[in-house]
Amino acid sequence: MIGMMKGLGVTLKTLGTRKSTYKYPDEPIVMPDRFRGIQHFDPDKCIVCFQCARICPTQCITMSGKPNPDPEKKGRVIDTYDINFEICILCDLCTEVCPTEAIVMTNNFELAAYSRDELFKDRVWLQENNTNVRKDNNNIGAPKGGAK
Amino acid sequence: MIRTEELLLNVGPQHPSTHGVLRVVVKLDGEIITHVEPVIGYLHRGTEKLAESLNYTQIIPYTDRMDYLSAMTNNYVLCYAVEKMMGIEVPERAEFLRLIVMELQRIASHLVWWGTYLLDIGALSPFLFAFNDRERILQLFNELCGARLTYNYMRVGGVKWDAPEGWIDKVKAFVKDMKSRLDEYHNLVSGNEIFLARVKGIGAYDAETAIQYGLSGANLRCTGVKWDLRKNEPYCIYDRFDFDIPVGQNGDCYDRYYVRTEEIRQSLRILEQALEQFPPEGETMGKVPRAIRPPAGEVYVRIESPRGEIGCYIVSKGKAEPYRLKFRRPSFVNLQILPKLLVGESMTNLVTILGGIDIVLGEVDC
Amino acid sequence: MSEEQKQNGAGPAEGETKAEAAPEGAKAQVPPAKTEGAPQSGEAPQAPPQPAEAPQQPAAPQPGVEPKQTSGAAPQPAAETQTAAGASQPAAQQPAAAEKRPLTDEEKEARRQAALAARAAKLAAQGGAAAGAAAGAAAGGRAAARGAAAAGGEGSEEPPKPSPNQPKLDRAVQLLKELVAEDAVEEASLNPFNDDMPTLVIRGEHWPKAAETLRDHPEFGFRYLRNVAGVDHETHMEVVYHLLNMDSGDTYCVKVRTNRDNPSVPSVVSVWKTADWQEREIYDLLGIAFPGHPDLRRIMLPDDWVGHPLRKDYVPLDPEV
Repeated sequence: MIGMMKGLGVTLKTLGTRKSTYKYPDEPIVMPDRFRGIQHFDPDKCIVCFQCARICPTQCITMSGKPNPDPEKKGRVIDTYDINFEICILCDLCTEVCPTEAIVMTNNFELAAYSRDELFKDRVWLQENNTNVRKDNNNIGAPKGGAK
Repeated sequence: MIRTEELLLNVGPQHPSTHGVLRVVVKLDGEIITHVEPVIGYLHRGTEKLAESLNYTQIIPYTDRMDYLSAMTNNYVLCYAVEKMMGIEVPERAEFLRLIVMELQRIASHLVWWGTYLLDIGALSPFLFAFNDRERILQLFNELCGARLTYNYMRVGGVKWDAPEGWIDKVKAFVKDMKSRLDEYHNLVSGNEIFLARVKGIGAYDAETAIQYGLSGANLRCTGVKWDLRKNEPYCIYDRFDFDIPVGQNGDCYDRYYVRTEEIRQSLRILEQALEQFPPEGETMGKVPRAIRPPAGEVYVRIESPRGEIGCYIVSKGKAEPYRLKFRRPSFVNLQILPKLLVGESMTNLVTILGGIDIVLGEVDC
Repeated sequence: MSEEQKQNGAGPAEGETKAEAAPEGAKAQVPPAKTEGAPQSGEAPQAPPQPAEAPQQPAAPQPGVEPKQTSGAAPQPAAETQTAAGASQPAAQQPAAAEKRPLTDEEKEARRQAALAARAAKLAAQGGAAAGAAAGAAAGGRAAARGAAAAGGEGSEEPPKPSPNQPKLDRAVQLLKELVAEDAVEEASLNPFNDDMPTLVIRGEHWPKAAETLRDHPEFGFRYLRNVAGVDHETHMEVVYHLLNMDSGDTYCVKVRTNRDNPSVPSVVSVWKTADWQEREIYDLLGIAFPGHPDLRRIMLPDDWVGHPLRKDYVPLDPEV
């Protein structure tokens, strides 16, 4: 009996403690800055080096570049950039190797969709997804602040 | 005269108490189990085959998903294997971060085990207590590496991020809090007569059987064999801290319970010491060549994950991808003893014994 | 554009060499990238340029690499030494890696030199042992030649300190020769990557008796079987066992080789019960049969699966699955 009484004591003590549940979705959950949510893509910074596509463990990034429309500048600009979100595991390796911080993660994780077509994020969607962009990227491929 | 028949019961792949997609085909004679056959493979994702076409940094997210309740130890075993082959030295601060994170992970994993084991047995509130504390650990991990379950935190040669501002203090506060909560949990459960009646003497085996079946972790230590890879084959910086290895005597379910809860206490002890000795500054990544290509050869490393001995066997031919990568998963090996323990037992103890082995199906199937 | 998209669809290994070639086409440093990228695919015709690049490297690893290249005459060992030589020359890959990123070459170069210096120092220390063990532990089944090269390789370079495990290894070989059979042990070496773990290659027909000896003999006492792994080398298959003696803490590695057409290794379930499911898994994924196993069935894959996925030449019957 003693064991059960002790247990009951713990239960009764917990009655008076603070609740530890969240009232989600009525109150939004604020994720810490480093949270790995869906990516945000800035096409102006991209130099089409394909590092992100190469490092992706699930091969979910497909991209292509085109020669720079400005005839004086060298290099390429990005033409299409797609992330197949059905396969993306949000592992953050693409942001780690990007030399210009063109692709960064945001803190958005509420991505449920009614149809699988919406899960194929293209360049426009990724560019417009610029809320809650992560500040601390710890990018090993780029100097601080991204290269120009 | 009553006619009796043997009943074939399928504890199916979808079952709340099988801790994953495990199917146990049980033949019953009344309530006594006569034959058990676990059927696994429902979660087989071909990680080992995939790994042959990915380089080591790309495999790290896949290791997270093997034993998803203790992902940090999986990350570590892969990085440790590659670092051993290449002879890379990991800086001090990175080792400390790794150790802190792995011990926190051990506490989190044991809390999940504790909560779900008691839930299976029938006690509904310890589950909520355990997950409450585990939530705090996951929140700490979220602040550290951006994910709550699949961390992708360790890299070959160090860790990915340094601890953010104030993180170490939060961990210290958690450790202090957790000690008192652990005593509360003991008060709640360990003396409870119903609980003791359900687990004492159930599913017992002796040390010789455990060694024959290759059990590891708490399943081995509950029989009295004092074998813990953190002490017997030290890795990381475990040899700098002192902690005890809890050992059981009878090899029954109660001893497994006791060993695991005591391990939480010892993990808290290690964490205290590690947080005190935490170097105030340092690198988080060692000197690693840009392309990680271990020399041709092979290596087998093993560490103590919360479930037992997890090993990583790499055969490398000098390329950026492994030629053969095999994980020795503790849950896979530990699950083999299930038929032996269950035959002759009453069916009511099936869930108790299965839960006591502490398996994670992601690991069983790889 | 479509070509680049196709490259991204290909695996990272091929993508690496091809993507190296394509963007580099526009840049000036093409020739070093191409010649140093080529050895990665292990083409034998590249053998002549390798020794030519040797003077660029720190001198120490080279003497370790040369004896290997001379001892194996067939193209396959040459390919293996290619990859081993390619691995021990990180400098060859680093300039190629630098050219992939068009920016910040200087700081990368500095970082790389530091890493190279550290690695070169380590390789110099392990130069002889690495050559010997890589020849003994990872190569194909040319037992006699490799055995001689292993023994010679370990001692012929700047002699490394004799490992404390060497007497244990010799004693193990001697015991197995006496108690099991004269030709039971094909090769014996120490694995330098794994803290000089003794590695024995035991012949398949003597394996059950050797397993019992390893478990029961007081000098061995390996009661705990840690890990059973199957490996598909393209010429043969092998099953690797890691054994543990809990009292002394020793771990030995035992390999049993078998041919690829009808692979079969005697089962050791009667010796260590833990091998049960592990052997079933190897049978399932690699197709190695274990005569003597009480219940050899597929374990991970459905029972009606065709083929053995972990084999190198596995082609899925149904690509959609």
